[in-house]
Amino acid sequence: MIEPNSDALPAASPNSLWTDAFRRLKKDKVGMISLIVIVIYVLVAILCGLDLIFQNYSVADDARSYLAPNAINWFGTDFLGRDVLARAAHGTYTSMLVGLLGPGLSVIIGVVLGALAGYFGGRTDALVVWFYTTVDTIPYILLISAFAFVLGPGLQTLCIVFGLTGWVGLCRLVRAEFLKHKEKEYVQSARALGAGHMRRIFRHILPNVLHIVLIQFSLAFVSVIKAEVILSYLGLGVEAGTPSWGVMISDAKLELSRGVWWGLLTATLFMFFLVLALNLFTSALRDALDPKLKGK
Amino acid sequence: MADNIIEIKDLKVDFHTDDGVVHAVKGISFDIPRGKTVGLVGESGSGKSVTSLTAMKLVPNPPGEISGGQILFEGKDLVKASEAEMRKIRGNKISMIFQEPMTSLNPVFTVGDQIAETLMLHQDLSKDEAIEKAIELLDQVGIPNPSTRVKSYPHEMSGGQRQRVMIAMAIACEPDVLIADEPTTALDVTIQKQILDLLADLQKKYGMSVLFITHDLAVIADIADEVVVMYRGDIVEKGSVSDVFNKPQHPYTKGLLACRPSLDKNPERLPTVSDFMTVDGKEISYDISALLKEKTTRPIADDHDVLLEIKNVKKHFPLKKNFFGKVQNWVKAVDDVSFKVRRGRTLGLVGESGCGKTTLGRTILRLIEPTAGEIIYDGKDLVGMNRQEMREMRKKMQIIFQDPYASLNPRMTIGSAIMEPMIIHNIGANKADRLQKAGDLIEKCGLPREMLNRYPHEFSGGQRQRICIARALAVEPEFIICDESVSALDVSVQAQILNLLLDLQEEFGLTYIFISHDLAVVKFFADELAVMNSGQVVEMADALSIYQAPKEDYTKKLLSAIPKGIPKDLLVTQLQ
Repeated sequence: MIEPNSDALPAASPNSLWTDAFRRLKKDKVGMISLIVIVIYVLVAILCGLDLIFQNYSVADDARSYLAPNAINWFGTDFLGRDVLARAAHGTYTSMLVGLLGPGLSVIIGVVLGALAGYFGGRTDALVVWFYTTVDTIPYILLISAFAFVLGPGLQTLCIVFGLTGWVGLCRLVRAEFLKHKEKEYVQSARALGAGHMRRIFRHILPNVLHIVLIQFSLAFVSVIKAEVILSYLGLGVEAGTPSWGVMISDAKLELSRGVWWGLLTATLFMFFLVLALNLFTSALRDALDPKLKGK
Repeated sequence: MADNIIEIKDLKVDFHTDDGVVHAVKGISFDIPRGKTVGLVGESGSGKSVTSLTAMKLVPNPPGEISGGQILFEGKDLVKASEAEMRKIRGNKISMIFQEPMTSLNPVFTVGDQIAETLMLHQDLSKDEAIEKAIELLDQVGIPNPSTRVKSYPHEMSGGQRQRVMIAMAIACEPDVLIADEPTTALDVTIQKQILDLLADLQKKYGMSVLFITHDLAVIADIADEVVVMYRGDIVEKGSVSDVFNKPQHPYTKGLLACRPSLDKNPERLPTVSDFMTVDGKEISYDISALLKEKTTRPIADDHDVLLEIKNVKKHFPLKKNFFGKVQNWVKAVDDVSFKVRRGRTLGLVGESGCGKTTLGRTILRLIEPTAGEIIYDGKDLVGMNRQEMREMRKKMQIIFQDPYASLNPRMTIGSAIMEPMIIHNIGANKADRLQKAGDLIEKCGLPREMLNRYPHEFSGGQRQRICIARALAVEPEFIICDESVSALDVSVQAQILNLLLDLQEEFGLTYIFISHDLAVVKFFADELAVMNSGQVVEMADALSIYQAPKEDYTKKLLSAIPKGIPKDLLVTQLQ
């Protein structure tokens, strides 16, 4: 490593962990490719959401029902004669929205509550633990159904439902990590230097437990997409007619017996690449955020 | 039968890392004679632990690889031995004690079960017989009430007792060779002495050969017959204890001998290895009289300006609560302690683990709230200050912890770590200014400013402690508590850090409370000494008179625990 002279010393800014992490991530080929894949998915989702591409997704044509993949419909058509590729692309919008916003919301709730409980202990901890234990005792599906019935089915409902129910496991983990880290000497030494609670929680402890959050997030993303399938099947998910991978996969159970395999394949492929890219990316991000793995 | 139970011949061990091959051991040869103790000495990273692990074939491969040489155990080359053959030797013929008694026992099994396991594995004993034998062994290693303690779990025992259990496990099968890898480094000096005595007894009793690995030459002088000194993967000197200690040839050995603070000397600064040689091992000429220059004792007048006074400070932790939540039993960690710390001077606080010295240190900074008492700093009582007032005080009072590995945030560059306290206390006009200041501080502490962009794991223990010192200095404090700040470091590094702290005291007029279990270190470093036992200060006087005329039995016990192995003082001998 060539040392720069002291004038050109790169600033050791308070954000340097993230700056450094991004620099390291750029060197990670797998990480960058998966990031590009995720960006493509996001673009597809946005463009579909704005109805700029695959506008034909709801165009039904009874004459073209269940066509196998062909020159016009590369991935075939469904029972209403709609283009499967267009349906799957629009399904990206549903999945990305639910998969990112739902777990995103639950990460925020889980991390904040877990951090506060673990860090402050005492009554705060007792309250948080009581709260998540209570949430945890209610059967999951029942809780989701209750929310869905009250708010009415739809995309926003799904996001809120997953956000409000999915945080318990993460909260528990984050609380335990905070309990462990707050006694460590580096936190004590920050305290001795006059660092306040918020600085100790967010600048010192949180970066050291972030890997858990990242892993939980990527796991939650997958399980939310799967849960959307179940909820849509129960009629609690997206409104009828809204394109979704979940609906496509759940439709496939009748179609397969008739030899119609392309709907299932397309939805699965879309899901597979997104989940793979997301897992690889979070893993690369986790490594990039660990300065000990520098140079690897 | 050969005289030597183990003969190591031209042993080479390499580690394959991402940055290329590291030659950890570069072709070393030495013998372990039957029934004798060989001391293997060197600093962290010198290859001494790798050597011992190689003898057990415990070096993980990859990344480690034995790239050459032989290890002959009773004439059989262990380098070529299969894993199945090694399994019969490990724990049976050659056994090992590790440094960290807290982690080398399995926390979910009783100590009896763990000792019995080795016996059942190698000696075909039934469970009952093995437990019977375990009780006998615990008795031999000096655990009181062995028949009850055999059912104890590791967490129910003290560090010294756990190390005794480790020794019991190691000698269970009456091995021919016992490898002790820094077995006393994590222990207090008083416990260290007991363990050393125990090892010497057992060695005599069983006629074992012992390979004793340490960074502290003084420790092995008492128990070893021969000494091997390693530096950077090579043996720089070997010979009998009296030869090596009386007529050291290599400058590194001279440095190691000279750098340990001893009770009967009173130097101004400790000699360090770098006074004797360059990093690549070339001898440099040194000025003996400069190295031996006596410290001018700084007299402390009764009316000397008092910076910190603590009055009747108590810290009690609840131990047991009854059904209604009323506390029935307390641990009196700090029990009615009062003393004064004078401006620009150092108060040494010395005592064994669990005597309350660390709790007291943290209570003074209000990292722990005192149960009762007053902490008067510069005329103001800290107890009862609100958070805002306390934050102002934290600018003046700092602490340097024991473990330099744990006290730096692993995900923060050291530059950010040093600049953080400046941000908290609004020191420095802008970022560039703070960066400049951080660079100056780190240079003052002996590291180049280019290092600011690095993360803590890239530094050695001694370097990290320098970083912690730079960080504490960032708020421009006037008072620093050093809580066992050099205890985790090698003797040679310890000397450097102690000298640095003294230089900084001189330059900035700092006031220190220096907490340690090692009376020799405290005596060198402090002006005044307070000896603590069971939460109370049992004796307090200036450093010299405590050493010359200790009044309390407890102080005498601490004094007698210091390894006094060095037969003659090297520098004084050379001067004559």
